[in-house]
Amino acid sequence: MAEYIKLIDLTKCTGCRACQVACKQWNELPAEKTGFTGSLQNPKDLSYNTWCLIRYDEFEEADGMKWIMRHDACMHCDWPACVKACPSPGALVKTDSGAVVHNPDYCIGCKACIVACPFDIPRYSEHDEKIAKCTLCFNRITDGKAPACVTACPTGTLEFGLKEDMLKKAHARAAAVGGSVYPNNPKYETHVIYVIPGDVKLAALQHVNPNPKMPATILWWKNLFKPFTLIGMGGVAGLAALHYFIKGPHLVEKKEEGGEADV
Amino acid sequence: MSSNAREGMVYVSTAEERIVHWLLAGSCLFALITGLGLMFHSWEIIPTMLGGYYATKWMHIFAGIVFAISLVAASIMWWEHCKFVPDDLKWVSQAGGYLWEAHDLPPCGMYNAGQKMFFWFVFVFGIIIVLSGIVMFNPLPFPVTLARWAYMLHVMGVFVIASFFVIHLYLGTFGNPGTVQIMFHGWATREYCEFHKGKWLAERDSKGEPSE
Repeated sequence: MAEYIKLIDLTKCTGCRACQVACKQWNELPAEKTGFTGSLQNPKDLSYNTWCLIRYDEFEEADGMKWIMRHDACMHCDWPACVKACPSPGALVKTDSGAVVHNPDYCIGCKACIVACPFDIPRYSEHDEKIAKCTLCFNRITDGKAPACVTACPTGTLEFGLKEDMLKKAHARAAAVGGSVYPNNPKYETHVIYVIPGDVKLAALQHVNPNPKMPATILWWKNLFKPFTLIGMGGVAGLAALHYFIKGPHLVEKKEEGGEADV
Repeated sequence: MSSNAREGMVYVSTAEERIVHWLLAGSCLFALITGLGLMFHSWEIIPTMLGGYYATKWMHIFAGIVFAISLVAASIMWWEHCKFVPDDLKWVSQAGGYLWEAHDLPPCGMYNAGQKMFFWFVFVFGIIIVLSGIVMFNPLPFPVTLARWAYMLHVMGVFVIASFFVIHLYLGTFGNPGTVQIMFHGWATREYCEFHKGKWLAERDSKGEPSE
């Protein structure tokens, strides 16, 4: 299967939340009870039942007030930390299309993916003892359709297409509007990319990791100490066997009559 | 003294001590097996035999709780015995006579320097494993950096303890004939105690404790 990318052009987003609603509808996610929090952002955060959220940020700068709407969901990493951390085979899978998909049937609710994720995306449900997150509508894209959020977007903010096409398009658009592409790290690619307007500072936005990468502690855990447990035990067992065959068991030395221990 | 005296034998380990030792060893081994089953996807046979990954996760957690409790009990129980004394340096410098012929080994107390080192490794890394395990049980209230460190330290602790566990297992069974029975019924021969626990035996005899 070809590799796809969801392109989010923030210069075009009006914050209508059609993507948020379409996501709920397609994935059959129940609505949440929310209240007014003083922001257009509603609900306040991603949750087990909200996989896609329009975040609203406003910030003051020398030349006046700025605000931005941002479609926030799973970034579908090419080298996903959540999959690396997951202990249950099949519960989190990176597919050929680029989508990182969770399967509730296999999830054991250990929360390791939540800790590992550099974007803080998976959400846990105490009730179901499982995690949930955006799947890039894996059950639509395998059928040749675009994800529900992309289909619903009325402004062209969201686009879905082949990886090379979308990358080209993103960089061309960023150059045209004087903005930037995020994330722009060849060592940590994602299957969701943003075009950020030039006057928006990434670090000023909520819930953004300006420098996404595989967390070093996750690498040390899985690539160093994990194999070392077996190497350690196996090596020591081997040495013990060698000791037994070469030196033999450490026998108790009998004391001779009235004398010192004979060595 | 709970057991009847036995001819030529010395009562080395009380029932309470043996129970704590078995709980510590059993929970450690079971947590190790379930943990490896969860960590290595190719060892799916372990979670499969135990009833699936979800069940294995909970077994691992309960084994960890037993391990934590028995670690506290074992630490209290062995703390005094495992304090290092100057003679331990002499023992370590000759590797306890395990690797080459040693002619100048000082008599040991209840435990030799190697056993004491094992105790302190289990104590320190056991605490690391238990504390990081508590964070891993529910990492959500903790700062994410701390939680990530917990996962790493948990497995680092396993690496250290599991490696020493294998040495301990070898030296307690095949490596030192006459040792393993102490963990079962608590008795060892007088010769064994003279050889392995000379200082302890002498102190014990001077107090005139009835055992033989």
